[in-house]
Amino acid sequence: MSTVARTISVATLDVRAVTVRFGGVVAVDDVTFTAQTGEVLGVMGPNGAGKTTLFNVISGVQRPTAGEVSLSGTRLTGRSVEDVAALGVTRTFQTPVMFWGLTVRESVEVALAAHAFGGTYPPAPWRELLRCGFAAPGRRRESALLRDHADAILAGAGIAAMAGRPTESLAFGEERLLEMARALAVSPTILLLDEPLSGLNPDEIEAVLASIRAARASGVAVLLVEHAVGELLAVADRVVVLDHGRKIAEGTPQAVAADPLVIDAYIGDELE
Amino acid sequence: MIAQLWQYVLAGVAAGAIYALIAAGFVLIYQVTGLINFAQGEFAMIGAMTASALATGGMPVLEAAGIAVLAAAVTGALCYVLAIRPARASTGVTLIFITLGLDVALRGLGLLVWGTNPLSLPAFSGGASVNIFGGVLSPQSIWVLVTDLLVFAALYVFFRHTHAGTAVRAAVANPPIASTFGIPLRTFAFWSFVAAAAIGGLGGVVVAPITSATYDMGLTLGLAGFVAAVLGGLDSLPGALVGGFVLGIVEKLAGGLISTGWEQGVGFLILVLVLVLRPQGLLGRAVRRA
Repeated sequence: MSTVARTISVATLDVRAVTVRFGGVVAVDDVTFTAQTGEVLGVMGPNGAGKTTLFNVISGVQRPTAGEVSLSGTRLTGRSVEDVAALGVTRTFQTPVMFWGLTVRESVEVALAAHAFGGTYPPAPWRELLRCGFAAPGRRRESALLRDHADAILAGAGIAAMAGRPTESLAFGEERLLEMARALAVSPTILLLDEPLSGLNPDEIEAVLASIRAARASGVAVLLVEHAVGELLAVADRVVVLDHGRKIAEGTPQAVAADPLVIDAYIGDELE
Repeated sequence: MIAQLWQYVLAGVAAGAIYALIAAGFVLIYQVTGLINFAQGEFAMIGAMTASALATGGMPVLEAAGIAVLAAAVTGALCYVLAIRPARASTGVTLIFITLGLDVALRGLGLLVWGTNPLSLPAFSGGASVNIFGGVLSPQSIWVLVTDLLVFAALYVFFRHTHAGTAVRAAVANPPIASTFGIPLRTFAFWSFVAAAAIGGLGGVVVAPITSATYDMGLTLGLAGFVAAVLGGLDSLPGALVGGFVLGIVEKLAGGLISTGWEQGVGFLILVLVLVLRPQGLLGRAVRRA
């Protein structure tokens, strides 16, 4: 794991001249923007605009053909997915990824514990094994704290009631809420949300939007890819619009929604 | 006839208790690394031979047993560090061949160090056989069953009631995502080899007073443990326990009712049947969406 110190306070994600080519296809074409902690940056564009590819570049899954991504001056491009995550970049997926076999609470606890111990988790499994079952007040307190913390996060995500359920039993929307809670458990600097509202009912949409606003208030930079343009424009502070891999607009939701280029790109797609 | 059948069952339970320990090693390594470690039986051989050799040299049995388990654990650690980790970028088939190579190498090592003569280990305690509803179990078989109980209880507590165990389960469920949460897959892989080897070594130690110890005992034990693990479900520790006992009992019944020649063969019949009829094993999970 990286030994670079985590940036907790003010941080800037810097996407500079990023280009991704797959053979002859240009998925992302010379895209530049920044995102600050404490803001929600909407990333919109029609299907195939390069939004998910962009997220893959930021999170280290996809190496860009040209350009680079950095976080407050620390270069992310070229690092492993694990190292990028350790530097504070967390993401959720279009299809939620669960830890089957864990309960909802355990899923959050494991993220909390791993985060608390950094890359060296667990510090000493054999010691923990020896101590568990015995009256070890320190450990009990530690466990109780972790559990309380996990429950607080679940409550914040609106899923406190399902803490004890196995992840296998969750419906799609519930999985999505848990994935969001789990992502917030590691106190990310940058949170990449890939269509967090798709497939959700209105209550669940409200819960996710509330989580996004809470994350912003706690100083996370939220990057939001979302097809539900109305919700995206409502929650975002700024918006970047991609079309065929190129950035065609950037600005406030109002300005972007009124931009003729954007309206043009969305003809055929619905812009609410 | 019933009394006779019951005695076969008890003999099967005693044999199955060992298979369950070996199977637990297969499952641990498979869950954490996705690898089938065909050298698993050799850890039992190292345990049995080390304990027997030390005890023959005059060391108290429990002391010899402790050192033997340690020796097996160190062997497991070395196998991972020297053979598996350097090749971790390879595909599954390559890694399986590496473990087959390890199996042959460790057996060869056993031959070089201890020779071909069987070594014996005194039973852990004296005393008469225990009568259970008319059938008998030797005191050493009771030791084996107690060992099973302790090992599986410890594994259960570790996986269900420690944060490290929860982290391992998360790593098993989805390695790439778990690693983005800072869960160290390679550390877990290392410890899975150490734990599997220690458990295998312990199995060898407790069975040595019953079967005596030979340099090539790992082959049959390893195959039986593998069948038990597949039967129970390669991704299920309770499955290893169940698979071990079912295999042991079926073997002894087949050996007693048909002929002793069937005792070994029936295991492979089970293996084929399981792979055809229920590939996920008795308690394993069917492959599900990732």
